[in-house]
Amino acid sequence: MAEMVKLFVNGQEVEVESGKNLIDALEVVGIEIPHFCYHPALGADGNCRMCLVGIEDGRPPLVPACKTPVAEGLKVQLDTDKIKKIQRDVMELELINHPTDCPVCDQAGECKLQDYYMSYDHQATRMRVPQVLKGKKLDFGCGVIHDQERCVLCARCVRFTRQITKTGELGIINRSDEARVTLFPGRPLNNRYALNVVDLCPVGAMTSKDFRFKQRAWFLKRNKGICHGCSMGCNIFIDHNREKYKDDLIYRFRPRFNPEVNGYFICDKGRMSYHQENEGRLKSARIDHEDSPLVQALQTARRRIEASDKVLLLVSPNCSLEQMLAIRSLATEKGATISGYSDGCIQTGDADGYLIQDDKSANRAGLELLQIDTTYDFFKESLQRADTLVCFNNDLFFTDPDPVVAEKLKVLQTIAISTHETPFSRQAGIAIPAASYSEYAGSVINKDGVLQYFGRAVEKNVPAPEMISIARDLGATLTEPEALLHAMKRCIPALAAAESDQIPERGLKLTLSEAAHVTA
Amino acid sequence: MSDRSQLIFTGKPFQYDAERDAEFERLVKRYPTRESMILPALWLTQEQEGWIPAEAIAYIADRIGTFASQVYEAATFYTMYHLHPMGRNHICICRTLSCWLRGKQEIVDYLRDEIGLKPGQVSEDGKFSLEEVECLGHCGSAPVVQVNGEFHENMDVDKLKSLLAGLK
Repeated sequence: MAEMVKLFVNGQEVEVESGKNLIDALEVVGIEIPHFCYHPALGADGNCRMCLVGIEDGRPPLVPACKTPVAEGLKVQLDTDKIKKIQRDVMELELINHPTDCPVCDQAGECKLQDYYMSYDHQATRMRVPQVLKGKKLDFGCGVIHDQERCVLCARCVRFTRQITKTGELGIINRSDEARVTLFPGRPLNNRYALNVVDLCPVGAMTSKDFRFKQRAWFLKRNKGICHGCSMGCNIFIDHNREKYKDDLIYRFRPRFNPEVNGYFICDKGRMSYHQENEGRLKSARIDHEDSPLVQALQTARRRIEASDKVLLLVSPNCSLEQMLAIRSLATEKGATISGYSDGCIQTGDADGYLIQDDKSANRAGLELLQIDTTYDFFKESLQRADTLVCFNNDLFFTDPDPVVAEKLKVLQTIAISTHETPFSRQAGIAIPAASYSEYAGSVINKDGVLQYFGRAVEKNVPAPEMISIARDLGATLTEPEALLHAMKRCIPALAAAESDQIPERGLKLTLSEAAHVTA
Repeated sequence: MSDRSQLIFTGKPFQYDAERDAEFERLVKRYPTRESMILPALWLTQEQEGWIPAEAIAYIADRIGTFASQVYEAATFYTMYHLHPMGRNHICICRTLSCWLRGKQEIVDYLRDEIGLKPGQVSEDGKFSLEEVECLGHCGSAPVVQVNGEFHENMDVDKLKSLLAGLK
């Protein structure tokens, strides 16, 4: 916990964390200082002048709050007539050449210009001369579309490409009312985090080609989630909506701040991975390639498993810890072998030392914690001995070039429990659809050993069953939430020691010694 | 100030001649960071070519080791850099407050109506080019016109007429 200092805002005493600037420190206690250019990840630029405040200590009458650190006894004025006039004046200047095309602007509803107009401006325009016209719908590359007229020149996007991605594609050229954000001709946005400028943009100047004109911001339900695109476990918002007569669909992922994991940003690939949650899903159950009611498919699967001598369960490194525990209990119950072989998830050399990781699965650390073998040798050996293969959303071996594996797959009895329609689910003796990670709650451990919990976001019109309930229907014993939590606490002493049963919002960092405490 | 975002690609690769190459290497030692070379490097280009083509901006960025967008910013911010070929006589008219209040618009209108010369353009015969620029620092004797780098103070249309008559 950081040291606290007491200061006065409009004469009222408030206690805030030291070491922060006024904007960040007062935001925590619910006091808003309007600002465009300041962003905690990009630092104080001081160019927008919207955060000017008064400090009663003899310094210049107005100072930018973004560049003013909190200090004991500081007397801050936010509501004097002078400050209010400055805020109105800055807003008036910002709006002089703004097209005010909110009805067709994607940012409407989550736009700082709109919000601040309502809170701090509220005056009619005095403009009687034509506005300066600039570039519209410029394709900046990487799926970013720019509207120069809506821009307030806060330079957040420019600073992002210079400070964070260090690719520097964007710049503000010209000066005065002709100033605009642009690219050097022939050098478009070319980095794997470019779409973060859409979130950073406080107004509708930067929009996403993918999201444009799809949904109004106020219709979207925003649930907290964890990206399953790689082993980083970036925190996201899952923005989804059920339109009338349609299914609950995800329209975008946005980064969610977590200083322990991803900070303020996510990669573009993870951001776009929401498409896979909506599309290509396994919709109905099948027995021997014929559509079948789900209940019947589950019963048949259970009978076939019970009739087999040597069952191999193959669990995905994307399954939640709870699902892995349930599937492991099924293995114990049936005397089955369990493997987590999934080398196909690993794209060596793809990691960039920032957020993107080689391992494209969300919970490999969970497999390790539960001591589920992930080696190829063990998988191949178990497969050769097995007569039934039950695949829990892990069919990466399907393209295995080894002829022994390929030959075995042809004679083996197969059951695919799958979120998506895949080559394996199409070929499997029984195919059972399962809920994907936006449709269930669970816990995953990222590559740094941070245990994170995510809730259920999307509720489909016809929900696919969760992996845990499928495991229960196949004969697993450990499937009740309390029992699963208890089992997790046995594996993870830090969780057992925690006061609450809830995994903290920012995750629980597991130490190496905790991982070694594993109960098999 | 007019929009200066339009760069011209010549289609030919740019590089400094031997003299300017040596000058670049001499100047770069003067500064703590290489980014400081952006303005001198643009000057060197303008000295060599008379103006600054798009290829030169990319060349400067790559040679300094900075972003092309950053050199582009500087080149468009300062009106002293010419981003297209200029006329034989380059006229700058200050458009900042004092000069505007003291009648710079009459001079601009005269050039537009009588010579057909608009800010940011070159006259058809290539004799004149015109740019509206930000403050030239001679507010006390506004309006101010700069022709080929030379200042002419307290200007009006008549004084401009006789000034232009003396130019080739």
